[in-house]
Amino acid sequence: MRSRNVIDMHLVNRMQAFGWPLVAVTFAFVVILGVGLIVGSQGPEAQAGMYYGMQWNGAIFALLGPLIGYGFTSMGQYFPLALGLGLTRREFATGLSAVFLGNAVIYSVLITSGKTIEKATDGFGLHVRFFDVFYTGTGASWQTLVQTFLLIMAVLFLGAAITAAFLRFGQAFLWVAGAILALIGVGIFAGVLLLDGFGRNLLEVMTMGWGPWMVVIAAIGAASAGVWLLLVRRTQVA
Amino acid sequence: MSAIETRNLTKHFRDVAAIDDVSLDFAAGRVHGLLGRNGAGKTTLMKLLTGQIFATSGEMRVLGENPVENAEVLSKTCFIQESQKYPDGFRPLDVLRIAEGLYPAWDQGLARELVADFRLPEKRAIKKLSRGQLSAVGIIIGLASRAPLTFFDEPYLGLDAVARRLFFDRLLADFSEHPRTVILSTHHIDEVSNLLEHVVLLDEGRVAISAEAEELQSAAIEVSGRLDEVTAFIAGADVLRVQEIGALATATVHAEPGSADRARAAGLQVAPVSLQNYIVHRTTAAAAAPVT
Repeated sequence: MRSRNVIDMHLVNRMQAFGWPLVAVTFAFVVILGVGLIVGSQGPEAQAGMYYGMQWNGAIFALLGPLIGYGFTSMGQYFPLALGLGLTRREFATGLSAVFLGNAVIYSVLITSGKTIEKATDGFGLHVRFFDVFYTGTGASWQTLVQTFLLIMAVLFLGAAITAAFLRFGQAFLWVAGAILALIGVGIFAGVLLLDGFGRNLLEVMTMGWGPWMVVIAAIGAASAGVWLLLVRRTQVA
Repeated sequence: MSAIETRNLTKHFRDVAAIDDVSLDFAAGRVHGLLGRNGAGKTTLMKLLTGQIFATSGEMRVLGENPVENAEVLSKTCFIQESQKYPDGFRPLDVLRIAEGLYPAWDQGLARELVADFRLPEKRAIKKLSRGQLSAVGIIIGLASRAPLTFFDEPYLGLDAVARRLFFDRLLADFSEHPRTVILSTHHIDEVSNLLEHVVLLDEGRVAISAEAEELQSAAIEVSGRLDEVTAFIAGADVLRVQEIGALATATVHAEPGSADRARAAGLQVAPVSLQNYIVHRTTAAAAAPVT
C-alpha cells in the first residue's frame, strides 16, 4: 500500500499539518476572549450586542485559512516529490484524499467540540462567540460537524484543483480564471443595478436554508475533487 | 535482455522536439552513460522513462512494461534528478525515511554509512543545505534504494572532488555486489569513463551515438606534427577536428585499423583521445556540419 507514503510525507512537517493551524486558532481565540473581557466590562447590554454581532465574526478563519493553503501546498510541493520517488499519480491521489479526509475529520471534530463547550459555558463565561458562528453553523452541534467537514473538504480539494490546473495550463489558467471571476462579478453587479428583482432573488438565494447551503458546499467540493482527479492524471512534473 | 527499449519515442514541448524519434536499447545489468550537451534531451528522456512526463508519440518499455502509472515498474525504478524539489521543512532524515518505505530493496545500513561518508547533516532543513549536500541526499537514495533500474541525472552537482570520487567508488563497489542497471547522465565524462560500459550520446533530441564505451575509447586518435605532414595524413580521413598553430597542426581523426602506425611512420606524434574529448568533438562536429 504505497499510498501510505503520501500520508507519511504530509505528516513530516507537523507544524504545517497541525502546529500552525493550532497556534493561529489559539491566538485568535485569545483575542476573542480579550474582546469579551473588555466589552463585558461595559455592562450586560453591550455584552448582549456583542453576542449577537459576533455570530458574523470571522476569527475561526484563523483555522480554516491555513487549511485552504494546505490544498495548494499538497499539489505544489508534495506531488513533485511523490512522482520523483516513483509513486504513481493514482497512488498520490489516493493518499492525498486520505490526508484531506483526515484533516477534515480532525478539524471538524475540534470545531464542533469547541462549539459544544462554548454553548455549554455561555461563551466561556464571557458571552463570546468563536466556534458558534455563521461560517461553522449556528444550529445544532451535528450541523456544525457536517458544515465544517464539508467546508474543509471543499477548500482542500479546491486548493488542490487550482494548483493542478496551474501545473497543467501554467500562467494562462490564472489569467483565464481571473477574467472569468471578474466577469461574473461584473455580471452580478450589473444585474443588481439594471434588472428588476435580480437583487431580491439573489438575496433569497443567499439566505436560503442550511440544507440547500450544504448541498452547494458539497457540490463545490465534489466538483473540485472531480476536476482535481481529472487533471492530476495528466499532470506532468516540469 | 533489455532493461529499457524505446521505439520512435518523441516528446514535443509546443514546437520544440526535446526528444525526436529516439529508438534505443539499454541492456540490463550494465552501467550506461547518457551524455550530451545542455538541452540535448537527457533529462527529458529520463522523465519519460520514469513516467513523470508523457510522450507525444512512440513506444517505451521499462523492465518489460510501459512505465506510465505502473506501480510495479516504478517501485523498481529510482530516478535521482538534480532538479528535485522538496517540501518546506523537510530534512534529509525525512526524505530517507520516506524513500526507505518506497523501495523494497532499500539497504538502511548502506544509507547510514553513506550519510557518515558524505558528512550529511541529516537533521538540517533541506533548504539550508549546500548544493553539494543536496546532491548527496540524492546519491544516498540512489545507492541505498538498490533499485533494479537507477537513473542518476547529474547526481553530483556542487560536490567537491573528494565526494565525487566517493560516489564513483561506492557506486562501483555496490554495483559489483548488487548488479543492476544504472543510467548515468553527466558532463564529467572523463571522471566516469571507467565506470561506463555503454554510452548513448544525445544531440538536439536525437541519438548521435549508441555504442560500447570501450569502442569509443579507441574510436579516434590525435595526430600532431608539421602542418603539411598533418594535412597530408588527414587527406581522405574522417576528421573530427583540426587545430593549426603557425607551422604546426593537431588533428583528431576517426581511427581506422593501422592508422596510428601509419601516422607514426609519417613522422607524426600519436595520442589517444579521451572519451570526453571524443564526445566533445562529435557534438562539435555535428553542430558545425552544414544543414541539409
